[in-house]
Amino acid sequence: MGIVLRNLQNVVPLRRARLRKDVETLRHILGVQKFDLGIICVDNRKIQNLNRIYRKKNAPTDVLSFPFYEDLRPGKMPCALHRDEFNLGDIFLGVEYVMQQCRETSCDFHGTLTVVAAHGICHLLGYRHETEEEWNEVKKKKKNSPYIRTMDLNYSSGNPMLSHLIELKYISSLLS
Amino acid sequence: MLKSLSRAVSVAARLSTKAPAAAPTARAALASPALCAPSSASTRPFTRSIWMLCSSNGATSGSRPKLLSTERGLPAVPCGCGGLHTEGDKAFAEFLSDEIKEEKKIQKSATLPKMSGGWELKLNGTEAKLIRSLSGERVTITFNINNSIPPTLEEEEEPGHGQKAEEKEPEIVSTPNFVVEVLKQGAKNALVFDCHFPEDEIGHGKGQEESDIFAIQEVSFQPEGDEDWKETSYTLNTDSLDWALYDHFMDFLADRGVDNTFANELIELSTALEHKEYIQFLEDLSSYIKCN
Repeated sequence: MGIVLRNLQNVVPLRRARLRKDVETLRHILGVQKFDLGIICVDNRKIQNLNRIYRKKNAPTDVLSFPFYEDLRPGKMPCALHRDEFNLGDIFLGVEYVMQQCRETSCDFHGTLTVVAAHGICHLLGYRHETEEEWNEVKKKKKNSPYIRTMDLNYSSGNPMLSHLIELKYISSLLS
Repeated sequence: MLKSLSRAVSVAARLSTKAPAAAPTARAALASPALCAPSSASTRPFTRSIWMLCSSNGATSGSRPKLLSTERGLPAVPCGCGGLHTEGDKAFAEFLSDEIKEEKKIQKSATLPKMSGGWELKLNGTEAKLIRSLSGERVTITFNINNSIPPTLEEEEEPGHGQKAEEKEPEIVSTPNFVVEVLKQGAKNALVFDCHFPEDEIGHGKGQEESDIFAIQEVSFQPEGDEDWKETSYTLNTDSLDWALYDHFMDFLADRGVDNTFANELIELSTALEHKEYIQFLEDLSSYIKCN
């Protein structure tokens, strides 16, 4: 039960060990350390291709999540009975996109990447932010996690990058 | 004597692949300059052939002249160069000539591509070494282009796309296994990584390759300067390795210039080298078949 990490790009120098360590910590924070997770780092070309195929959006993005449990209620832990079911799914990290965003905002790349990974894991756990109803559901479910509340507040304000910055600060405090 | 001569001429004419004609055409077929250079420029090929028929195996005028050897039923064309030349060889040589032309047409460049990062390239036949020094450390990458082209798996043809699948030939790419040696200044042992390019996994739902560009298979300490692999040195196999340790190894290599960019450039270099060696092999083969 672990993290499968793959780096398919050569645009951004990646610190694999650090990313793995940070994602391991995230798994513990979110209480999903028993579940396998796939992290695949790709460039703009690949993430744009996936975005076009699966979301009909022909543009690169920072993260795309492919959940193992597609109809998971936000915040509800997956009910796994067999060994093969202890799987959250795969997260594709658009590292080139994230690097570009960090250059514009003078943010630390690896810290931001961890935050983006956290965002992706939340999606694997059923959290969405595309409709008001989904936002309301998220608000109802988060009670004990200031992290989730913070993220929700800033996504609802329509400022994903600000959300990322606050997430970064929170997660950095947890990881240090 | 006259009867023997006329019989030899008619047999020679029948053995020619060209339509039976007057003696000069048969001569051309039997001793084509394309097959071998005449040992004596002044000797007429036809005459040389007849002479050989009459004097082969030490046969004297008293014995029946042996015609072309038919022990195995193969049409052999002796030219005096010491090699066997058959019609099959001739066809083979023609095929090779065409093949060499085609291969040179598709050859991307006569020169090998350069590696970024200041790597020095040393070639020894099919083996290549890339060497780089970095703050007292020497990093050496060794690979061999032999057996470096993975088999191309035929993909299932979708209905209606059969024609397109047949027309598009897969590009030949060389993905050699390679060894990375990292030697710190003054150290007795080098840290050695046995690396390879994993073949793309088939059947992934997202339609994308999802394996690392290159992977580490084994890690070991090996004595510096020794060409032979020391079997008694502990060798760590990554199949059952802790993934965190594996990532540290990958970061270690990346810091020394062995990263995904390097891996992609290595593929380009190896592919170009392999193609160059293949063309050279075809040319050597063509020369060997034509004449020793």
